[in-house]
Amino acid sequence: MIPYVNEYDTPNCNTLAETAKKSIRTPESLGLDRCIQCGACTASCPAARFSDYSPRQIVKKVLENDHSVLESKMIWSCFYCYSCNVRCPRNNSPVTIVQVLRQMAINEGIGVEKLAYFLEIGEYLAENGASKVPETGIRNMEKDLGERWIGIKRNLGSTRSEMGLSSRDFRNTNGEVQAILESTGYFEREKWIKIKIEEKRIHGFVKTNYSDKDKKNGEFGFESDRKYTGQEAITV
Amino acid sequence: MKAIESIPDRKLLLFKSCMVGQEYPGVETATRYVFDRLGIDYCVNDEQSCCTGIGHYTDIFEGLTTAAIAARNFAVARKCGYPNITCLCSTCYAVNKEACELLNTNAEVRDKVNSIFKEKGFDDLVYEKGDMDSRTNFYHAVEILLSKVGQIKEAKKFDFSGVKAASHHACHYYKVKYLDVVGSPENPQLIDTIAEACGASPVRWYEDRTLTCGMGFSQLHLNKNTSLQVTKTKLDSLQRAGVELMLHMCPNCHIQYDRYQPVIEKEFGVKYDMVHMNIAQFVALSMGADPYKVCGFQTHSVPLEGFLEKTGIL
Amino acid sequence: MTDGTTEGLNKAAVFICHCSGNISEHVDIDTVKKTLKAEGISVYDYEYLCSSQGQALIKNKIIEGHLDRVVIGSCTPSKHGTLFKKCVQEAGLNRAGLEIANLREQCAWVHPDRAGATEKALSLLKAKLKRLENVEPLEDIKVDIVQQALVIGGGIAGITAALNLADNGIPTFLVEKDSSIGGQMAKIGKIFSPDKLAEECAMCSLSPLMNEVAAHPKITLLTWTEVENLSGSAGNFTVRLKKKPRYVKDNCTACGRCSRVCPVLVEDEFNCGYMDKKAISLRFSQSVPKVYCIDPNHCLQLNGETCGKCAAACKNGAIDFSQKEEIIELNVGAVIVATGFEEYDASQKPQYGYGIFENVMTQMELARVLGINGPTKGELLRVSDFSKASSDPAPATCDSRCESSSNDSCAETPKRIVMIQCVGSRDEKEGGNRYCSRYCCMAALKHASLIKKRYPETEITICYIDVRAFGFYENYYRAVQETGVNFVRGRPAEVIEKPDKSLVVRVEDTLNQKIKELPADLVVLSAAMIPSPGTKKIASVLNLSQDESGFIKEKHSKLKPVDSSLDGIFVCGTAQSPKDVTDTIAQSGLAAVRARAFITDSPKTLDNEIATINQLLCTRCGGCLKCPFDALSLNESGRVVLDPLICTGCGYCTELCKEGAVKVAGFTKPQLKAEIEGVLEEGDMLGFVNSGIASLTCDNIGNSVLTYPSNVKLIRVPTSLVVDIDLVMHAFRHGASSVLFVEDPPDNPRAEAIYPLAVRHFEKLKEKLGDSGNRIHFKKAYVPNIKGLAGTFTSLAREGEMIK
Ligand SMILES: Cc1cc2nc3c(=O)[nH]c(=O)nc-3n(C[C@H](O)[C@H](O)[C@H](O)COP(=O)(O)OP(=O)(O)OC[C@H]3O[C@@H](n4cnc5c(N)ncnc54)[C@H](O)[C@@H]3O)c2cc1C
Ligand code: SF4
Ligand code: SF4
Ligand code: SF4
Ligand code: SF4
Ligand code: SF4
Ligand code: SF4
Repeated sequence: MIPYVNEYDTPNCNTLAETAKKSIRTPESLGLDRCIQCGACTASCPAARFSDYSPRQIVKKVLENDHSVLESKMIWSCFYCYSCNVRCPRNNSPVTIVQVLRQMAINEGIGVEKLAYFLEIGEYLAENGASKVPETGIRNMEKDLGERWIGIKRNLGSTRSEMGLSSRDFRNTNGEVQAILESTGYFEREKWIKIKIEEKRIHGFVKTNYSDKDKKNGEFGFESDRKYTGQEAITV
Repeated sequence: MKAIESIPDRKLLLFKSCMVGQEYPGVETATRYVFDRLGIDYCVNDEQSCCTGIGHYTDIFEGLTTAAIAARNFAVARKCGYPNITCLCSTCYAVNKEACELLNTNAEVRDKVNSIFKEKGFDDLVYEKGDMDSRTNFYHAVEILLSKVGQIKEAKKFDFSGVKAASHHACHYYKVKYLDVVGSPENPQLIDTIAEACGASPVRWYEDRTLTCGMGFSQLHLNKNTSLQVTKTKLDSLQRAGVELMLHMCPNCHIQYDRYQPVIEKEFGVKYDMVHMNIAQFVALSMGADPYKVCGFQTHSVPLEGFLEKTGIL
Repeated sequence: MTDGTTEGLNKAAVFICHCSGNISEHVDIDTVKKTLKAEGISVYDYEYLCSSQGQALIKNKIIEGHLDRVVIGSCTPSKHGTLFKKCVQEAGLNRAGLEIANLREQCAWVHPDRAGATEKALSLLKAKLKRLENVEPLEDIKVDIVQQALVIGGGIAGITAALNLADNGIPTFLVEKDSSIGGQMAKIGKIFSPDKLAEECAMCSLSPLMNEVAAHPKITLLTWTEVENLSGSAGNFTVRLKKKPRYVKDNCTACGRCSRVCPVLVEDEFNCGYMDKKAISLRFSQSVPKVYCIDPNHCLQLNGETCGKCAAACKNGAIDFSQKEEIIELNVGAVIVATGFEEYDASQKPQYGYGIFENVMTQMELARVLGINGPTKGELLRVSDFSKASSDPAPATCDSRCESSSNDSCAETPKRIVMIQCVGSRDEKEGGNRYCSRYCCMAALKHASLIKKRYPETEITICYIDVRAFGFYENYYRAVQETGVNFVRGRPAEVIEKPDKSLVVRVEDTLNQKIKELPADLVVLSAAMIPSPGTKKIASVLNLSQDESGFIKEKHSKLKPVDSSLDGIFVCGTAQSPKDVTDTIAQSGLAAVRARAFITDSPKTLDNEIATINQLLCTRCGGCLKCPFDALSLNESGRVVLDPLICTGCGYCTELCKEGAVKVAGFTKPQLKAEIEGVLEEGDMLGFVNSGIASLTCDNIGNSVLTYPSNVKLIRVPTSLVVDIDLVMHAFRHGASSVLFVEDPPDNPRAEAIYPLAVRHFEKLKEKLGDSGNRIHFKKAYVPNIKGLAGTFTSLAREGEMIK
């Protein structure tokens, strides 16, 4: 399989750490090499608190240049909340590293099925200059949020008008956004991703249902099935 | 740390947010209502596009795409003479600020973006180093409110005294570019200070105060269970603290708390007593704005009528 | 002296050392002798010139032959330069009449080819002879050093330094800004020690020392006093002090009657604000001097209200509201700065809840709570459980109560304590400090151990990143582990307060990869050590270099750990860097020794190879005032004057002066020209070598059996700044194929100032030389990089040969 080339986010380097540091998603002062495995990131991380996820472990894998991290489900659990970013005493930024790792995974066709849900955002942006919740998301939301929300959405145009806004959040981008997405390779990549997803579907790797209720698999030697501990402190 | 005195009130481009426009248009109208009354010089420009944030953080855009879209929006801001990009959404704020830093420091990316513009004949979009300053050209609308907190206090029409309000400060405002924020990212008081000026009694400290809202971009959709657990954690804490009003500064948090509070109540069998709004909506209310025509509360999932009646607005 | 050469040469002689074969095996000494003799020069050689016999030979020949110029061909002048200088001076020769040619490290040892080495030795000796033709005698510059010292700061560092100075006979002033000496050590209660696994009583060690200070005939103690200003130069400083009024005279007997009647309560800094004291009080009961002091900000009487209750209560009439601020001027030869540290303000890390949650405290605050003279009289209580108790003015002597067992009303004693390490240390985030504070791992272990001993039921957990129990302290660490203290390896994310005021610490136990929520009744933060405000202030008053965090920077971290950036000013204790009491005392002793050595070396003979100003040529344009060390200034009458104690002889000013009025003694243009002429042959590579690290590095090439061609000729200069375009052209005219400047790397304060100037100087030279610019080169010489330097020599020399 030929990996997708995304030279700005994932420059081709000898090690994962080098790629992470040279990526344009990464600030220059990133303290990746200085990580002391103190765990402040993990202790601050909402994903780690409620699932088997650990930014510290991810950083360790990256520093060990262990490419299996790309295959790990872990990297898809980050909230991009930047709590680790603000707490790391070494000015490392696990959240930035996870972003680069996800891009690297995508290049390899790993985890692309998770993107299927969101690809629509790009198309919508090209056409309308704005983003929106993808259709599948809307259907899920309709299910969850029920009639009240459906009603709100149905009346949105008139509500907006009553409030003195245009009936739709209108953007006039003169086709420039469409052109930018095209020239920066968005559509090419989208196509590539779609093909990958299709390949995987054929090979039966992909579940069509996205509500991932799987139990965590205990990768990286984590305890599996850690229960949500709630707010009460555990006594040690 | 950002000095409050350095926050401008002129030449602000009020940067439209997709999630505000589609879910809570009242945040935009309330902000405009307040800005108008504070005498702030701003404009809204339909040529501005989405910042790409939603796609960027669901990993579907490459960094280059985000940078190019940002460069285009910067050109829109400069061309209309309103170069101080002022965001309603914390993700717009972070994405734009980071993109500006990238365009200023990375010549390779800048050249690439410019070559695309030139190739397409968009010569007026070309970004030269230093066209925007990542520190002084990017603001969150709430920062503007904070800089006018004295005026807000004077313009107060309603008495919210005794209203136990708690704030949720947006992660992408406080934790991404944490050196360039108002106050400490570990103990943010931005919203509380404004809420206090409107007469509310802010609950300045509650458990898990800096915890993220739980939306997590793809997480709400891919790992809904975890996502809602995070949201629930914070709602639980607020409930224990006896909070009746939760104030936010970002439409994504807003969706997570307002839209999903009823869902969490149903799925986890809990009950919460608080209502939600953006701090700009709260300031507008305090200045006497119409809860529906200006604040757009009819688009909220958690009904606010009880709160509005209690405080004498309805 | 500069007249006719033949006559001059008659009175000159050359001494060559064999160095027991080290030189003679590579240099044909007979040939050298013959050649020189043929030119009418007296030459002597000896097996070991540095031996006493060798020195006697030199002295005899000087006296016998009425010699006034001597060239010694021997090992590097860095080795025996001082010895030979003393030797010729004892024979009545001016030291300017001595030149040393380095025939060993820069000739015999680096040129295996005997003919080449011999030829080079000859050229080196001739160059030195030629240099001596232009010699002018150098007057010794002597300054008197004031025989008194000043120590600023009365913590354990200042106390130790002052006692050491005084015990060695130096009259010493000890200035303390507080009302009592003792510093932070007085507050910490017990101290950990490296050899015993027990904690000692800090006050028991400190108190006798404080009393000794007060009683020492050679120490003048000035408490409640601050340094306003320092002027003058090393050896003769004038210090202006401001002594604040205490409003209590020295006949106070510390009976405490005044304090009991005083109606005003003041927050007590000594007890971290956990306790109040009166407006008239002692800092702590063992204060030295034991004289009460009125807090002028809170006393009613001093703030316009009528009170005077204390004066009425005092049976000794010690209270005197008419006392005024006093300005004291002192003259001292040396200064020791010992102004100490303060604890980091942990509220800068709100995630740990300090200042937000009542039961989060720092180690220093815990020390006060555990202190027998503290707010709870040593009982371990949560802050939320003890109410502010007014200080008991009756002195609680520590020895009597130190080991008293706990009273058993342990109802509120915290059951679970969590300590968080490295708060504000090892932290790159805003408001944090990058360094390790060095004391806090041990302080945490100490407090854990103290608590475990008195309250064995208490559960204590220390959250650490690394436990830094360096050296013998590891024993202590092991002992504490055995008491059952828990250790969790992880930096906590945050502290959470529960409605019942109990706390939870969220941390990842990185050793088993579990996120833990540790319940705690009390959370103790091991906050960083940061320079005290007094340290930062004194650094700016005295104009001392500070590091990025504000600690006072030493001249060299290894070799000169207590010398500040200014001569005659020394630094010790936590004003210099974070450290514990043991290290503080060791360092303070050294500071005292260094200060004493500086003072007793009086009158001080200064290195005379420094700038001199020819007042006849000087137009007072002020061009030279840009001296990087501020050694030059205009005096009242407008004359440019040089401070010989400050000038480093770098030569930067020689270039600045357009009139040629400034020169560096020993390295004047005629002298350098003469040496150039003497040393050079066609096609030689000429190196100008900084006499510091660069010379050492060149010598080291010889010590390391590396070689380079013998057409490499080196001339020692104070810095390359004395070499101007004229000299470079002169070298080219006399056959140099290329010129290389070898400079010291910028890693000591002097070189940090010089190096950039030298680089700029070189670039300008290159530009001015135009086409010949590519014949000059610049190299930074690190001592370990001898191979690189030898390589450069070799390649430049080869190029020279090829051109030839
Ligand atoms: C909680 C805690 C526990 C500790 N426990 C131990 C332990 O068990 N064992 C151990 O070895 N070490 C311990 N230490 C470290 C120990 O306290 C220090 O190493 C020691 O006190 C340093 O002494 P110092 O004289 O350098 O500074 P300081 O004690 O700070 O003394 C400086 C003095 O200078 C005065 N001063 C400041 N500025 C000026 C000025 N401008 N003019 C005049 N005077 C001025 C101050 O008032 C003060 O009296 C502990 C530290 C802490 C915080
Ligand atoms: S907080 Fe920073 S230093 Fe600590 S483990 Fe995480 S990435 Fe490494
Ligand atoms: S950004 Fe991701 S890794 Fe970092 S704290 Fe948030 S969820 Fe955890
Ligand atoms: S009453 Fe007089 S003697 Fe006694 S402590 Fe006070 S000032 Fe000193
Ligand atoms: S005069 Fe001042 S110090 Fe004396 S008792 Fe009154 S308030 Fe206290
Ligand atoms: S001594 Fe220990 S607690 Fe203190 S900074 Fe160093 S490692 Fe951290
Ligand atoms: S030789 Fe150097 S230190 Fe001395 S006065 Fe001249 S410039 Fe200053």
